[in-house]
Amino acid sequence: MDIGNLNLIVAGIGISGGLILLLRDWRLATPALLLMYGFVAAFLAQQQFIPPDLQVGGYPISTMVLIKLITGGSAIAILVITALTFSREYNLEDLDEFSLTELRRAARRAQQQRATQPFRVTDYIVPIWALVLALLASLALPRLYPIGTQEIDFVWYWLGLVGLFSMVLAADILKIGIGLLLVIESISLLYTALARAVQVIPLAFLSLTTVVLALMIAYLSGLLYGRLKTLELNELYKS
Amino acid sequence: MLYLLFFLFPVAMAASAFVLRKQTTLTVAIGVGWALVQTALAAALPVEQPARLLGLTLNVDPLGRLFLLTFLAITLCSFLAAFALPHGENYVPVAILTQGLAGSMLLLLQEPFTVALLLVSVGILAVLAIVDLPIGTPALVGRKVIATALKYLVLMVMSGVMMYLAFVLITIYEPGTLPERVSPARLTLALLVIGFGLRIAIVPFHTWLPDLVEHASPLVTALIVVVINTSSLWFFVQSLQFFPIIVFENSRGLQIIMGIGIFTALVAAILALAQEQMRQMVGYLFVHNAGFLIFGLGTAQTFGMVGMLFEAFSQLPAILLILISVAMLERPDGRPANVLRRDLLWRWPVAATGFLGGMLALLGIPPFGGFVGKWMIYQAAHDQAAWLVVPLLVATAIAVLAVVRVARERLFGPADDLYQDEPDRLLGETEVDRPQERRLPSESAGLAILVMVLLGMCLVLGLYPQPLLTLIQNVVDGLSFIQA
Repeated sequence: MDIGNLNLIVAGIGISGGLILLLRDWRLATPALLLMYGFVAAFLAQQQFIPPDLQVGGYPISTMVLIKLITGGSAIAILVITALTFSREYNLEDLDEFSLTELRRAARRAQQQRATQPFRVTDYIVPIWALVLALLASLALPRLYPIGTQEIDFVWYWLGLVGLFSMVLAADILKIGIGLLLVIESISLLYTALARAVQVIPLAFLSLTTVVLALMIAYLSGLLYGRLKTLELNELYKS
Repeated sequence: MLYLLFFLFPVAMAASAFVLRKQTTLTVAIGVGWALVQTALAAALPVEQPARLLGLTLNVDPLGRLFLLTFLAITLCSFLAAFALPHGENYVPVAILTQGLAGSMLLLLQEPFTVALLLVSVGILAVLAIVDLPIGTPALVGRKVIATALKYLVLMVMSGVMMYLAFVLITIYEPGTLPERVSPARLTLALLVIGFGLRIAIVPFHTWLPDLVEHASPLVTALIVVVINTSSLWFFVQSLQFFPIIVFENSRGLQIIMGIGIFTALVAAILALAQEQMRQMVGYLFVHNAGFLIFGLGTAQTFGMVGMLFEAFSQLPAILLILISVAMLERPDGRPANVLRRDLLWRWPVAATGFLGGMLALLGIPPFGGFVGKWMIYQAAHDQAAWLVVPLLVATAIAVLAVVRVARERLFGPADDLYQDEPDRLLGETEVDRPQERRLPSESAGLAILVMVLLGMCLVLGLYPQPLLTLIQNVVDGLSFIQA
């Protein structure tokens, strides 16, 4: 990619992707994901893979761009609302003594963990190197294995790789969900940009898959929080 | 109209079952009724008469319809078992919706993008059933259950992404027009193998399946392995049919697929032999069988394909039989939960017989149905290179050894209850002082009949395979990627 002709929207996708990969806290990563959806919609509007059929504020855009924005917004809303109102509450009257004890123990452990979790720079070393690796791969792969134009290739490789690395490095379940949503967005973009005849139904299913995936991540997050009073994945593997 | 009814009826019934989910018996009865009506609808679908709906092409071939009817029959058996076996509160609605989506996939096979996404949706839906608890249970959802569900979710989404990517690549590929680019046929095959490998659990993408068998309810596992995995396999075959260039440009790739199949069958059999838990062993044997299926597909020859498809059919009743039997064997029998039970054959004779019969059918031991498919796969291996039969036979031998080990350790041990002498009465001891006699209820008659029916199906497939073989042979003859 020629830096002199840098596409600002592509740069925005790059920066928001980088933020998602680096930010450990879901409260910061979800706004970055919203930013990412906005930039991807802007990229689609700019590239006009599908002929525009709407005028929004004097700009011609395709309905598909609008659908992408709504889908992204819905997914973010589902994740944020879940994160803020968490917890599938068990009916305590149904639970036996062992289960009640376990719930109390989990709540105590989560409270202790929150109290003893300081900010450590070392936690960011691996994500920073992952970011560098994703950036290098996203710049190299469009040259080694070109599929569309360089800009398209960079964007879908970048989204896919950031999603993949986010999942690999995720410490909590919401970050895994964000990674999965990014990977889905990557193939959605690839299909929209490159398929010879873009069909409405696969695109509609992609949007539906995004929303259903966000719902399932929200459900599992609630289940995990209700059970262990934390979203940390390492708690799942403690005996 | 019939197609619309076929798609929307499961949605309406799943919604009804969800609303009524607190009434367990009624919900299961709704499931049974739905399965019967849906079977009638599936039987009425026109064969090989493509139709258009919402811009999508709908078509079903004779084998696709047979798959559809078999899935429905197996789902019906699962619902019947659900009358007596514990299951989650959302099991019936999820099973109806899953079956409905699987049916839609079988009709939409000419729309690979849509089917790949439907597979992702089915995977996401199945997660709901994995973490499900029965109504009013006093227990919490286990950590390992949540971990299993999360692992399944991530892997199934990644599987869908790989498939989708492969389909995008193959549709934009124009042979000869862009000579400066690398042919994407190899990359496409690699993506498809990874995507479907994750789905049908071939080594090294198999880890979710043993976890699922161990931690999820057996009925949910049956739903996933029987309906979702088998329809994925059929989708793989149809993908190669629609894009035969993937096969024609990849003779080396097919050899690699055969290698993966052998590797999967061998490694999974060894891991099954090493397991202490019965459920884990069962999970690894499912993976072992997936190795045979992928090997048959990799041969891309008539014999191997017919064997693979026959095996895909014959494993359906066997898998359900094994899982129902496992659920029956694990029922409380009055002994403390931490006591290892070694006399299950004497305690639950029907369940133990079903378990052993299902295992033998899965491993392809005559006279069960699995033998026919396996035999054809051995022959296909021999046609490729005589030595290829050896690792496949070794894998089967190890798998049989794993079953023998479990049978010796868990089924054929001395019966506690049969050989226990009446303890002598102590001086001054009365009836009230004596420990309460352990209540030993007999096996549920309904479940026993179901086990016998499934065992009978496995036997019938082995003794009279010809009608099914002829049907499969006709379909395989029409596949464009098959080499003579």
